[in-house]
Amino acid sequence: MKRSSIILLVLIAVAIGVIVSLVGDFSTYETFASAARHPDKEYRVIGVLDKSLPQVYDPQKDPNYFSFYVKDKAGNIRKVVYIGSRPTDFERSEQIVLTGHMQDSVFACSQILMKCPSKYKNDQVAVSNMKAQAQQVHAEVK
Amino acid sequence: MASHYIGEHLLPGQIGHLAVIVAFVAAWVATIAYTVSSVQQQRHLSDMHSWRRLGRMAFLVQVIGFFTIFGCLLWIIWHHYFEYYYAWEHTSRDLSPKFLLASLWEGQEGSFLLWALWHCVLGLILIKVSKSWEGPVMGIISFAQCCIASMLLGIYFFGYRVGSNPFILLRNAGVMPFEPGPDYLSMIRDGAGLNALLQNYWMVIHPPVLFLGFASTIVPFAYAIAGLGTRKYSEWVKPALPWCVFSAMILGTGIMLGGAWAYESLTFGGYWAWDPVENASLVPWLTLVAGIHTLLVYKHTGHSLRASFFFFIISFILVLYSTFLTRSGILGDSSVHAFTDLGMSGQLLVYLFVFLIPALAIFAYRYREIPAPRTEEPLHTREFWMFIGSLLLFISAVFITFTTSIPVWNKIFHTNMAEPVDREFHYNRIQIFIAILIALGTAVVQYYKYKQNSWQYLRKKIALPTAIAVVACFIFGWLSDIQYSKYGLGFLIAIYLLFFTSIYAVIANLGYILFMLKGRLRKAGASVAHAGFALFLIGVVLSSAKKQVISIDRMGMMDVFDFSNKNENPRENIFLPFGVPVQMGDYDVTYVGDSTAPGDPKIYYAVQFADRQHPDKPLFTLYPDILKNTKGMQGYSANPHTQHFWNKDIFTYVNYASNIEPDQTDTVRYHTHALAVGDTVFLQNGYLVLRSLYRNPTRPAYRPTPQDVAVAADIQVFSGGKSYTASPIYYLRGNEQGAVDDTISSLQLYLHFEGIDPAAKKIMLAVKQIPPKDHFIVLKAYVFPFINIVWLGVGITILGFLMSLVHRIRQQMEKRQISQKPVYATKDVDI
Repeated sequence: MKRSSIILLVLIAVAIGVIVSLVGDFSTYETFASAARHPDKEYRVIGVLDKSLPQVYDPQKDPNYFSFYVKDKAGNIRKVVYIGSRPTDFERSEQIVLTGHMQDSVFACSQILMKCPSKYKNDQVAVSNMKAQAQQVHAEVK
Repeated sequence: MASHYIGEHLLPGQIGHLAVIVAFVAAWVATIAYTVSSVQQQRHLSDMHSWRRLGRMAFLVQVIGFFTIFGCLLWIIWHHYFEYYYAWEHTSRDLSPKFLLASLWEGQEGSFLLWALWHCVLGLILIKVSKSWEGPVMGIISFAQCCIASMLLGIYFFGYRVGSNPFILLRNAGVMPFEPGPDYLSMIRDGAGLNALLQNYWMVIHPPVLFLGFASTIVPFAYAIAGLGTRKYSEWVKPALPWCVFSAMILGTGIMLGGAWAYESLTFGGYWAWDPVENASLVPWLTLVAGIHTLLVYKHTGHSLRASFFFFIISFILVLYSTFLTRSGILGDSSVHAFTDLGMSGQLLVYLFVFLIPALAIFAYRYREIPAPRTEEPLHTREFWMFIGSLLLFISAVFITFTTSIPVWNKIFHTNMAEPVDREFHYNRIQIFIAILIALGTAVVQYYKYKQNSWQYLRKKIALPTAIAVVACFIFGWLSDIQYSKYGLGFLIAIYLLFFTSIYAVIANLGYILFMLKGRLRKAGASVAHAGFALFLIGVVLSSAKKQVISIDRMGMMDVFDFSNKNENPRENIFLPFGVPVQMGDYDVTYVGDSTAPGDPKIYYAVQFADRQHPDKPLFTLYPDILKNTKGMQGYSANPHTQHFWNKDIFTYVNYASNIEPDQTDTVRYHTHALAVGDTVFLQNGYLVLRSLYRNPTRPAYRPTPQDVAVAADIQVFSGGKSYTASPIYYLRGNEQGAVDDTISSLQLYLHFEGIDPAAKKIMLAVKQIPPKDHFIVLKAYVFPFINIVWLGVGITILGFLMSLVHRIRQQMEKRQISQKPVYATKDVDI
């Protein structure tokens, strides 16, 4: 067998091995219930913010603690605790992707991805001359 | 029904759209004419020249077409013709000229246009220099131009819209909230504007350079396909080589400009985040560099020609694939770069496959005909290890593409996979080993000779650089003191291995320039590029493994979760109340104020750094800001600010502030007091006194008119042992009344002169003071040690590419002057 063929075979074998291990890293989208079955693993959970339940972010007490409630795709509502600051415009999010794990009945979250309303589809042409007025007022105040 | 609208400028749009159609048709004519001319050339028919002339004319026409499109679009944007959707959507009146230009490529249409313009420029150069290759090479580029022009057509064929016309009118774009009347334009005061996040000088330079990089990958591709098509399997190599070097140089520059942008103004916390779009542009660069190496192997030894064909074909295909990923919307929200979906994903797929399928078909069909020596390269030769190095680059590209394509796999296999939870480590844990091998290869391989089993030679020549490198590794390994425990001992060892092999590569390449090339810089391009790349790797290792979060919060801890068996999730945000120094690393850090400017959507937060030993002497002040996105993307986004030192950067950004959400500060209301001269008002930590009232005040903020009757209150404030003065103004201007407020920002004290009660001889003064505990920011701060080595390494790598580009072009010009030499030169010091 030629050496180049051997090298090629070895490389292909290594590449397949690595790709299998890469797939092992891939995460899946779960619900709170399925994430609770494996509290030792991190998952992604898709859900929506439950605006009727309280959100807590009090940077004076702890700038790295933000808690809120999310309803997942199965309709279950769980408390989520995010170790970090409260993302701006959190209320406007249509959908939230949480990364983290279940701990008791709380989802400990290490990453939040928000899907906000499409930035262009809801665009409306601003037709008033509010802006011009505002500028005038601004100039007067100065 | 044709109704008349007042004030529209329809001419530039009509010319522009006509130019799109002209460019599209002319590009087709050029494609056909050039293809026919190259077939004729194959058969040595004489009308080849007239076909080529036609091809040139048609190409020239489409060049004029594309430049006309660009000119019309720029004209529209420049004059704020908001009757055009593109101008309304991407610009506003307050944009400065450079951002008006940059807004051209904010949208998909404009960035396609940019790409086509670069194709035009490259095509014109090729017409001049490509000689007998003009027919096939220009045929392929013209075909790409057809594809791009079709992206701008916006014409319906059989119910399917082909392309998106950049000259569509606002009233036809379906965004008007009402039926436009004849005077609708008078109501459109301003456009939606350029996304504030993009209002950055990087937006002016990064896209043009990157698109030149993308556009230039077609030249090696076209030469390779031309070589296959005309069966001149080896002749294309020499004219193509400088283009390959050029393309890799520009694409690399464009990618790293993006990295610098990300570092400077995004909150990734670094220059590279393995973002899908970053990956998609890196991958073609890797295969392009692999191709340059196999091409050199072929030039010197006759080996690896098939691999070279493959690499240049795949590089261009990967550029198209990256275009598809970025623009089809398939990446969704997982990337900062993703354009909005224009509903063109089908067309983008067609663009990808019309190149992919024929290119792979002709490659497979002619594969056996491509010359390849029967004998194998001996083990101890340069060509053998260069080939291995190219394979490594390719494998790296395969791994990166595999994970980046998760959304594509999900579409194809109807799966529901998500990105790895720890994206960076997912890539790093594989790529670090490839980087180690590449660094080792760039150190050693050039000391081998081509075509000779040169183990002895290598051992003799490389001994000295190796010895120096070993010493250097000990010294720097000890000095650097990398302790990166996050992913365990194995990864730490890998980091040290990469650090050492990169040091070895820098020294071995310097040694090669000094001892082997005897300082002849003309031929040193490759060694310079390799040394630069290794330096870049050193910078990457140091700046990431020794990156330090200095804003770790040790106070808070309302509720602590056990993240110890997961990714570390340190408490990276720190609470900075106004005016109170907080310890961070070696610094005492104080939030000292914020500022805004009219017309600027940013709020700047002044954060003062002082040495812990000498807290009274501030060292420097950083101004990270928060800006309101004009397009409502995420409401607000943070812009970091960085203090640069020669050996480190201190990088800060504001994650939250008390005054970004209006309800936060509005909870504190003004209280109105009726004051006579001499009266006092008690404040949180002191009091104020109304000392006197005076006429005709002068303050920069107050612009008097002759009819004004103005009064100022002279107020003295005592707080915390210090004294301050303020003079709010109240005026009557005809029938109107007005006020000019005054603030003492260090006390967060706002004073508003409301009015005068002449009967009681009192003034009405409204006072608001935001308590310090309600006035704060939440800050993140990193230290990046030796980040400058990253930029230095990138710069040297680009310089190395440039040197070898100049060398290649010079070589060709000299050879052309002398005569044709045999295909394989046999110099041993020539990369």
